[in-house]
Amino acid sequence: MNHLQLVLSGLFVGSFYALVALGYSMVYGIIKLLNFAHGDLYMVGAFAGFTVLSVGAGALGGGFVALIVIMIVAMIATGGFGMLLERVAYRPLRSAPRLSVLITAVGASFALEYGIAVAFGPTPEVYPVGVQDGTLHIANAQVTYAQLAMTAIAVVLMAALDTLVRTTRSGRAMRAISQDPKACLLMGVNVDRVISRTFFIGSALAGAAGVMAGAYYGKIDFLMGFVIGLKAFTAAVIGGIGNLRGAVLGAIVLGLLESFGVPTSAASGVTSSRSASSFSS
Amino acid sequence: MNDESTLRAGEKPSVYVSAVEGRTPTNIAPSVTEAGASASSRTAVAELVSNSLASRCLGTGAAVAALALPLVSSSTYVIQIAVDALIFVMLAVGLNIVVGYCGLLDLGYAAFFAIGAYTSGLLSTRFGWPLVATVPVVVIAAIIAGLLIGGPTLRLRSDYLAIVTLGFGEIIRITANNLDFTGGPNGLYGIPDFGDFGLRADIALYWITAVVVIAAVLFSSRLGRGRIGRAWRFVREDEDAAEAMGIHTYRVKFAAYIAGAVFGGIAGVLFAAHQTAISPPSFNFLWSALILMAVVLGGMASTPGVVVGALMISLLPELLRGAENWRYLIFGLLLIVVMVFRPQGLLPAHPGEPRRRGRRAREGTS
Amino acid sequence: MTIIRRGTMTAAVMALGLTLAACGGSLTQDGSGKDDSDTIKLGMLTPLTGSSAAIGPHMKDGARLAVDEINAKGGIDGRKLSLTVEDEACDPKTAAAGAAKLVSAGVRISVGGYCSSATLPTLSIFEKAHIPMIIPAANSADLLAEQRRNVFLINGTGIQQAQAAAAFIKAGSSKGVALIDDNTSYSTDITKRTGDELGLLGVKVADHQSVTAGESDYSGAVNAVLGSKADFVYWTGYYQEGGLLIKQLRAAGYKGRIMVADGSVDGKLIEIAGKSNVQGVFATMTQTPQTIPGGEAWVATYKKKFGSEPGPYSTQAYDAVRVAAEAVRAAGSTDGQDVIEALEQIDGFEIFSGPLNFTLQHTLSVGGFDILVVEDDDFVLEK
Repeated sequence: MNHLQLVLSGLFVGSFYALVALGYSMVYGIIKLLNFAHGDLYMVGAFAGFTVLSVGAGALGGGFVALIVIMIVAMIATGGFGMLLERVAYRPLRSAPRLSVLITAVGASFALEYGIAVAFGPTPEVYPVGVQDGTLHIANAQVTYAQLAMTAIAVVLMAALDTLVRTTRSGRAMRAISQDPKACLLMGVNVDRVISRTFFIGSALAGAAGVMAGAYYGKIDFLMGFVIGLKAFTAAVIGGIGNLRGAVLGAIVLGLLESFGVPTSAASGVTSSRSASSFSS
Repeated sequence: MNDESTLRAGEKPSVYVSAVEGRTPTNIAPSVTEAGASASSRTAVAELVSNSLASRCLGTGAAVAALALPLVSSSTYVIQIAVDALIFVMLAVGLNIVVGYCGLLDLGYAAFFAIGAYTSGLLSTRFGWPLVATVPVVVIAAIIAGLLIGGPTLRLRSDYLAIVTLGFGEIIRITANNLDFTGGPNGLYGIPDFGDFGLRADIALYWITAVVVIAAVLFSSRLGRGRIGRAWRFVREDEDAAEAMGIHTYRVKFAAYIAGAVFGGIAGVLFAAHQTAISPPSFNFLWSALILMAVVLGGMASTPGVVVGALMISLLPELLRGAENWRYLIFGLLLIVVMVFRPQGLLPAHPGEPRRRGRRAREGTS
Repeated sequence: MTIIRRGTMTAAVMALGLTLAACGGSLTQDGSGKDDSDTIKLGMLTPLTGSSAAIGPHMKDGARLAVDEINAKGGIDGRKLSLTVEDEACDPKTAAAGAAKLVSAGVRISVGGYCSSATLPTLSIFEKAHIPMIIPAANSADLLAEQRRNVFLINGTGIQQAQAAAAFIKAGSSKGVALIDDNTSYSTDITKRTGDELGLLGVKVADHQSVTAGESDYSGAVNAVLGSKADFVYWTGYYQEGGLLIKQLRAAGYKGRIMVADGSVDGKLIEIAGKSNVQGVFATMTQTPQTIPGGEAWVATYKKKFGSEPGPYSTQAYDAVRVAAEAVRAAGSTDGQDVIEALEQIDGFEIFSGPLNFTLQHTLSVGGFDILVVEDDDFVLEK
């Protein structure tokens, strides 16, 4: 067995999970909501990219420039969707029992999945442009340029988010709200707007991951968000939910575990019980 | 972990942004029932409604209606989905003990359902036991599973408990999927029923299910009103205060968890008898989520509410069957709409202690 | 307020009772009395929602084509066929409710059944109602384990497919075979049996992997296959994952042969995997219109009518309806018992997989599995 190869593919898969896990963790950190529709936003991102690609394929041509343009469009669309979701399904319930929001989250997840199934049909769609490429050999392992590029994009996005949360004004507002929303309101922070913005950013990241998955794997379907949603959730938990750097770390750990053939659904139970115990004390 | 990128989870995991707009200070009406208490104009209505619904005559009416269904219509389809719905009611009522009464968020409840179904399925198909004889074993198996998973996790705060139970649910399903003994992905088939008593087999099963489920609903509603129920509510409202008042919170939470496990296990036996074939996909995360939805949609801790919620969650997709892919789109949108307009559930429990009936109430002790 | 609420609740309970009240029946026996209406009702369970929702329309259209063709020729003894389709969602509970709905709708013969685990709980429901089942797609051996007389499979079984696969692998003299399934019953059934068959033939099984359906990244399985030095990969799951797996195997530098089972034989497999990756990929498949003489006409009719290519199991669904019609014609009635006897006696009725005879176990006497190979955009017969 080639261990270097396993590590590399684990890192690659982990970077996908990380983009989705970040949104999970952000939303949880700020409003303590397990957003079960988050995985479906990833799926919506993939379909948004697909639509842009189908409509404007001729104008854009192929290659990475086109991919990045499409990704930006899809990120804006998915981010908008996330904001809409928050406005329609979550904000009216902010003063309601916490579990009620869980129900609307699951409801939103159903609505998104089957909304897409109605709009695009249940048959999987194939991305019209794939990223075709050469291969890089490192020792006895190989990485495709596409994998490198995808990982690079993911890292850039993650670094941008980290900077945003750590150094900007609105990042400070997010961190403040996660600690004490009531005090923020008293201090004149526009809580609604910050939460909206958080949803936009989290959803846009998921959308970017969706487009990347579409372009790299080539196949998208309306239920593709479910499994990755559960995994991202697991990753966020392993890293300590609400902690952004932790979510990235958790995602990479999960990617590596999978790559080494650990059945992760079971592993997630074990690891989460461990991490949970470390939190409770 | 004090780096600046951390969005730290608050000290109290369960204080949602409600605190921002909260009309009541959190220390008076914290966590789960906060909406019920917060809108005081609604409180009176909620009290009236749930009082009227808790009234015996309505409960009796519903029970009679359930028992009389085969006399009204005995079509195979009606009986089939009615049994499905009743089993779902049983699950929802069981989970209500855990989530509604005691405030423990369990996202892997389907695991107990699976344990019940698989235990009775294995004993009846591999060892030829009559299905009734498997019930005691199922109860024991459910209790053991409850002890194993509850033991280490019930000391945790609710959010982490949710995550661990989610993992547990998946572990049970994946184990069943991978073992040859449990039939792998195809599961078990040829599970016998309880016998037909000279009736059409599905109608006999319907009546058995109806009796069991009605008994379960009554039992859980009694539990909620008794001494232990009061302890559960106390733990749910404020665990620290409960502890200070001398309630052994760990033990009380355990009791709720085990009671829920047993309800789930028995529902599993009914499910195995009803389906005749069980397989891992029937016990996936979606099921746990749907049962939880029934509880929250109906109104946590309110038995009539939970029953109505379970009937809705179970029958709506069936009634929307013709809509194909629109089916779950409509279902999802309906859930959002219902929750936005009735965030505390369709028939919420009224906050505070249930009004005592009978002699002591007249003496004014309540 | 209380009174109003109580009133609404009572009304709701009554309304529930009334809406549920469909056709009445007796409490002590199954209501399947005589049927002398002028239509012969066929029922089909197929996934229209859920993870396999893509398959349902193909099966539905295949069956509809057969119904329309038979009706255009005047039906059976002057009686027209009608087709009712219900969703099984690949979920046992939904399938059981769907089966009960078909029974209550007065269906005489069932021509559906896709996911084996969802079809299992429907067997007893149809059996109690004395309804023969001609199952077009589901083919797990578990369906036959209880030897119910009303169950007939017209898709080749897992063991027949495994034998065809093992024979082909043996003939190609492979040094090590990797079997990959997707953890569903259909798929594990084939890998397990293929493993057994290969053992009997003395071919080495180098690796056995199970992947999770619905995921996108199979690098774990791909690396394991590469590490095992297998030179022949047999994938027994469906085309959605199959396409990705082939693409990732090739991208990782796997040079050996690949074969897929019938669930993966679909144009989408080629699209998902990428045309260049999939050239020369083999498949075990029952005969399709593409591989039999005169099949082009059938495909053309299908395309004209539904505006899409026939998909997986379109032909089997089409055949299931034709077999049902043939049995009713031979039996001269739609009585369950008569139809079952007629089905058992069918001799050489032509369907896509060849002349039809049922074995004592109610499976095809000849599995009819051929080896196909991908050339350009199509699966063609391997010579």
